[in-house]
Amino acid sequence: MIRFSDVTKSYNDDVVIKDISLLIEKGELAYITGPSGAGKTTLLKLIYAAEKPDKGQIVVAGWDIGKLKQSTIPYLRRNVGIVFQDFRLLNNKTVFDNIALALRIHDMHPKEIKKDVNAVLKEVHLSHKSQIYPQHLSGGEQQRVVIARAMVSKPTVLLADEPTGNLDDKTSDSIMDLFREINAIGTTVLLATHDTSLFQGTGRRVIHIKNKQIAGEEIG
Amino acid sequence: MRTFIYSVQTAYKSILRDKWINLLTILSISICLLIISAFVTITMNMDSLLNRWSKSFGLVVYLDDSLNSEAENTLKEFFQKDPDIIGVKYISKEDALEELRLVLGSNAEIIEGLKENPLPSSFELKLKSELLDSEFVKQKAAEITNMTGVEEVQYGEKWLSSLNTISRIMKLSATFLGTAIFIAIIFITYNTIKIFFYRRNDEIETLKLLGATRGFIRLPFLIEGLFIGIISGIIGSLALYGIQSFILIKGTEVLPAIRAMIITFPLEVYLSVPIAGAIMSFTGSLIAVGKIKY
Repeated sequence: MIRFSDVTKSYNDDVVIKDISLLIEKGELAYITGPSGAGKTTLLKLIYAAEKPDKGQIVVAGWDIGKLKQSTIPYLRRNVGIVFQDFRLLNNKTVFDNIALALRIHDMHPKEIKKDVNAVLKEVHLSHKSQIYPQHLSGGEQQRVVIARAMVSKPTVLLADEPTGNLDDKTSDSIMDLFREINAIGTTVLLATHDTSLFQGTGRRVIHIKNKQIAGEEIG
Repeated sequence: MRTFIYSVQTAYKSILRDKWINLLTILSISICLLIISAFVTITMNMDSLLNRWSKSFGLVVYLDDSLNSEAENTLKEFFQKDPDIIGVKYISKEDALEELRLVLGSNAEIIEGLKENPLPSSFELKLKSELLDSEFVKQKAAEITNMTGVEEVQYGEKWLSSLNTISRIMKLSATFLGTAIFIAIIFITYNTIKIFFYRRNDEIETLKLLGATRGFIRLPFLIEGLFIGIISGIIGSLALYGIQSFILIKGTEVLPAIRAMIITFPLEVYLSVPIAGAIMSFTGSLIAVGKIKY
């Protein structure tokens, strides 16, 4: 589903990722971990084509990232759900409208949008908050909305960058449960985190990045 | 179609949300459109006035006293066959004296003592209105002066030259002002839409990450620009109509001749102002939104 072959990326002369080769299988749930500045976020950015590799090849769900035209990037991103630590919710839209936005760009019929948004709200246990504005929600609830927004268009890949960075332990656990549920329905999930407690004892693949390179892999 | 409806709704909400900045933009563009439409109106009125004046313009060809009636007829036939001339009127010596008597009115006695009629017979020639260029008329007058039996040719040389100059200046000014205002309106809309674009930067970034196409991101801003242009144009058009009606009503009370000078426009002219506003604002918005990079 996601394949990196000898990928190098630098900003000006500063190398942030060097000769990385990696394969994430379809339907896998994997963690990428490493200290701050190790290149985790850059790796995710390369997957959703916010950056292009300087060297090597990246293929995501059949799309060759290095060869993507600007006009094709939106169509890749409709296949890749993204969850951020800082949520990136729109405060002038309700929870319902924030999630619906992901379907409006697909030019879906309002009736279908309503049906799908309500279904995903139910999955993240936020049906009762659909008409609330994000600033009136707790951190955990906001992250659930972000996950719902990323999932509503049924992407094949879900990326999450420090998804529990702003949350307490109990809320983090419930968010991680959500990711496992999403993975259980066949979505490939890739989580970038420096928090080792998130993957310990999960039995999932953990990829360590250190000094801009893959330092090793283990089962969490 | 659903994307278009969603973009219209987004643009409408944005206009209401940022109502003050939008109102200021709309008023600025309305004033610009009013200025240019008023100027075009004045130019068109001047042009129509000049056209009417030019219709009464003529060359007066004074004939040699020694010319007999047969020679006068030959000249008349020659002028009637000339494709540049649309009207030929013969004024005999007697008619000229009679006309002078009428002009002098109560002072006509000063010509009563004359033993013989000193006035020459003449032809009044009307040229085609499109030929009333001072250079052409000057050349034509010179040609006729050289003809046998013609004593002198008179025409309002300075007057004609002034009319031509005024008409040219007005048209040139309208073009210049129109271009300047066109650029000004584009710039005003550009600024407003750019502000909205920066203000909604977070929303745009989120849309990009969700997979929105450039068209989906741009469309609400372009529709907002279009709304601004159309509303401004309607206000400008109504203001123009109001001012013109006011001048017609109040002006004719003071100077009734104004009614004949002012031309009124058909509905299409008033409709063209919002269309012009829409085109200019849309252009400004298009430049403001620019190229979206992912």
